[in-house]
Amino acid sequence: MRKVFLFSVLTFLAVAIFAAPVTIQFWHAMGGTDRIQLLQNLANEFMQQNPDIKVDVQYTGSYTDTMTKMIAAVRAGNPPDLVMIYDIGTQMMIDSGVIIPIQNMIDKDPSFDINTLVPASRGYYTVGGKLYSMPFNSSNPVIFYNKTLFEKAGLDPNNPPNTFEEFIEYAKKLTVKDANGNTIQYGFTFGSGEPLAWFFEQFMAVQNALLLNNNNGRDGRATKAVFANEAGLRIFNFFNEMIQNGSAINAGPGWDNARQIFISQRAAMLITSTSDVNMMVKAAQSGNFSLGVMFLPHPSGVPYGGVIVGGASLWMVNTNNAQREEATWKFLKFLESTDAQIQWSTGTGYFPVNKNAIIKLLYEGYYAKNPPYLVTVLQLLMSNVTPATRGGATGAFPQIRTAVDTAFGKMFTKAMTPQQALQWAQDQANQAIANYNSMY
Amino acid sequence: MAKKIFPYLLLVPTFIIIAIFIYYPAFQTFKLSFYRMSPFGNRLFFVGFQNFWSLFTSGQYIQSALTTLIFVTVTVIGGLIISLLLALLLNERVPGIGVFRTLIFAPYAISPAVAGTLWAFLLSPVAGYVSYLFLILFKAQPQWLTTYPLALIAIMIATIWKNLGFNVIFFLAGLQSIPQSYYEAATIDGANSVHRLLRITIPLLSPITFYLIVMNVTFTAFSAFATIDVMTQGGPANTTSTLIYKLYQDGFVNFNTGFASAESVVLILIMAVFTYLYFKFGQKAVFYQ
Amino acid sequence: MKKNKMIRTILIEALLIFVTIIILLPLFLAVTMSLKKPSEVFVYPPTIFPNSFYIQNYINAFNSINLGRLMLNSLIMSVVIMIGKTIFGILSGYAFSNFRFKGSSLLFALLFVTLFMPAELIMIVPLFQIMQSLHWVNTYWALTVPFLASATTTFLMRQHFMTIPKELEDAAKIDGAGPMRFLLEILIPLSKSTIGGVAVINFVYAWNLYLWPLVVTNSNEMATAQIGLKMLTNVESTSNWGVIMAGTLMVLAPTLILFFAVQKLFVRGIVTTGLKE
Repeated sequence: MRKVFLFSVLTFLAVAIFAAPVTIQFWHAMGGTDRIQLLQNLANEFMQQNPDIKVDVQYTGSYTDTMTKMIAAVRAGNPPDLVMIYDIGTQMMIDSGVIIPIQNMIDKDPSFDINTLVPASRGYYTVGGKLYSMPFNSSNPVIFYNKTLFEKAGLDPNNPPNTFEEFIEYAKKLTVKDANGNTIQYGFTFGSGEPLAWFFEQFMAVQNALLLNNNNGRDGRATKAVFANEAGLRIFNFFNEMIQNGSAINAGPGWDNARQIFISQRAAMLITSTSDVNMMVKAAQSGNFSLGVMFLPHPSGVPYGGVIVGGASLWMVNTNNAQREEATWKFLKFLESTDAQIQWSTGTGYFPVNKNAIIKLLYEGYYAKNPPYLVTVLQLLMSNVTPATRGGATGAFPQIRTAVDTAFGKMFTKAMTPQQALQWAQDQANQAIANYNSMY
Repeated sequence: MAKKIFPYLLLVPTFIIIAIFIYYPAFQTFKLSFYRMSPFGNRLFFVGFQNFWSLFTSGQYIQSALTTLIFVTVTVIGGLIISLLLALLLNERVPGIGVFRTLIFAPYAISPAVAGTLWAFLLSPVAGYVSYLFLILFKAQPQWLTTYPLALIAIMIATIWKNLGFNVIFFLAGLQSIPQSYYEAATIDGANSVHRLLRITIPLLSPITFYLIVMNVTFTAFSAFATIDVMTQGGPANTTSTLIYKLYQDGFVNFNTGFASAESVVLILIMAVFTYLYFKFGQKAVFYQ
Repeated sequence: MKKNKMIRTILIEALLIFVTIIILLPLFLAVTMSLKKPSEVFVYPPTIFPNSFYIQNYINAFNSINLGRLMLNSLIMSVVIMIGKTIFGILSGYAFSNFRFKGSSLLFALLFVTLFMPAELIMIVPLFQIMQSLHWVNTYWALTVPFLASATTTFLMRQHFMTIPKELEDAAKIDGAGPMRFLLEILIPLSKSTIGGVAVINFVYAWNLYLWPLVVTNSNEMATAQIGLKMLTNVESTSNWGVIMAGTLMVLAPTLILFFAVQKLFVRGIVTTGLKE
């Protein structure tokens, strides 16, 4: 009897010790009740398939809040295993010294084929030839337009403008004023602040122009901003002309006011993120107007580059615990799998970063049923992957964005000419980059 | 003996807390103002007074200081006057006064970010209620959030609106402790309501007003950044960027820790100087019974 | 002159209604938004009233983020902070208003300056490091203890206590009451409205904390209501504003209930000079 008892106890202990689930912490910034639920569902699915791993999914605020929490955790010695960091935080994370480059995990694990990643997303998070983080939620800029208003203005709704010049023309034709001279319909609207700065970077990429030197910081640490040139000036002039001639309205900081103006049909064209497609389709239905989606226009005569991915990626943190790292890598591979990417993409509007997911969705007729999504995916896939379209990498990125946005503001309020504003932004950017780089 | 240490004993709980949880960490932050530090703290370089020097030679910082001065002055004075009038109104004993008081307090209870969001919706160009009303009523289309000085005015309105409740509560409490007998005596002496307001109410409210001025200056100097972040992000072109907003940006957006630390040191020094002068000269205007 | 009084009451009520409507307009916007379906939120011309009472927003907001639990956490945190700040503030305020002691000016200045050191802005990382070393991360301790002292309350109580005539204190001494009894039996009862006011303020301060609870909690069970509200907002794509407003109003409710209860203390005409003449 005693032997049986002892044996049972030992077995129990053995099972308890060796079957104890590894717990990993995953921090993300995907707010919105459906997204939080979606990520939890994915985690649950993973945990079902891997009963020895427990994933603690935690919403940790906006992108900047998540970065703040991450920094506090790192400096206190208690970081998570996997964290979602926004695109412009890439160089800061690389310089942090606490991450495990994804490339390292891929090199050790032949089961993960890096070529399944959409090249644009992969290129963004690759610095110095190494993939540092795993793309997860990638977006693009895109322009929605109101086909109904196009028709009313006598424009062909299936022929949206391709070039800057055409766009300005269309915007003018789509501007309607009332008897008192007040504008009751604008041709174009956009949000300032972070969106506007992002659009600037996108239009640079569209012209295949670099934002920063050293191939956008991809070949070596970027030491200077190089956007105060013809390419940058074209962009500044593009926006400025429409603002000054009244065919465009600056909706104020953030994404929402601009959306509101477009949805309420007070503006015929809106530049925003592809993650908005779902909402725009619904809004067009309830607003009874026909929705069109177009690529970003580019200046005529300038060679086309492409667009840069936005959004965020997932970073593995060095916890000096091989078990947890292995579990995290497994979870990461799961999140990148075809099925998980399909669930994530169709549920949110971000496009899949896994090529196979895109192919599967195509075969299943998803893009046929949702043409706006096809436009967004095509714009990305038809972009050339060049240093310009891979976007800039520097730890001073937030300051650069602020400088660009402020410069737009100075230009719109006529405190500076486009040329002066552009130069001012570059000078600010250079100062910020120099400050940051002085530490490395 | 017990009598002598009694006041110190009263202070013990407060000072233990502030020593451990405020002064000690604040000290760590102030030390960093002499350094340049990477976001994650893995690089640290001593730079002496360079952070401070950059601040004072930065046109943007001086501009922010001026913006802050205007913002604080208008918001505090405007807010206090409106709050006093509201408090006088809410001091009346009429049916339902409790509900009215609660409703007028409500803006204070929401967070600064929510306040900013609501006002951003109201002032949204074209489709916001205020913009729409202006179009219908005045046939004008002021661009509230993207032009100067409208953006600054918008922030001031939003901040005054949000802080009304705080001032009203304490004006109300102050009004409570003015004995009715004073008013009765004054009325017998022939004073009218304006007289009573100026000669009795305001002087007897001066201890509370003294407190409120300092608190309002502190709020508008320190808390309004969330409202600014939502409504204008410091724009257009830095014209609504106050000192605290710059600090927030440098600390929590740019992750430029050493620089943000320097900014907090400077801000505290400015406030300390203001407070010292305020206490030195302001106390004379205060009437304690 | 009863008729005059009635006219006066009516005029005051009318003025109150007018003023309240104006001040409450932005919040009214929040209420109407919370009752609108997603398709109704962004229309032009902007509508004031929703087409129907779409309560689904409230249900969504409450269930999707487990708002009940989050509000409980916020409640515990806010009540503890409110009590701590109020009590410690009364004690310190009393020390500075009624006693002459060596170093009082310096100590007051030291305390006062902490007004300019908001924890969330200036010292979030060092404070978090302290929490880590005390093993308080993800506990109620971290959410409450750093905020138990209050320069605001101390300063306010000092101001208020200084308006109480010295004769009262002298009378109490003659009666043989020690300083603690004087505080508890005379000063505090005379300061009900001020204490009520500052208690509400301290509660609201704690209730609206966001960044510190975000940094210091690591599980959904410990998160607070403000974090919950943030959970409802999308980054990059459009948020469901109806749900966000519904959540915001639900989170606002406890502070309003508390205020309504406290403002009953603000009753005019009861206070005398306090001296028995």
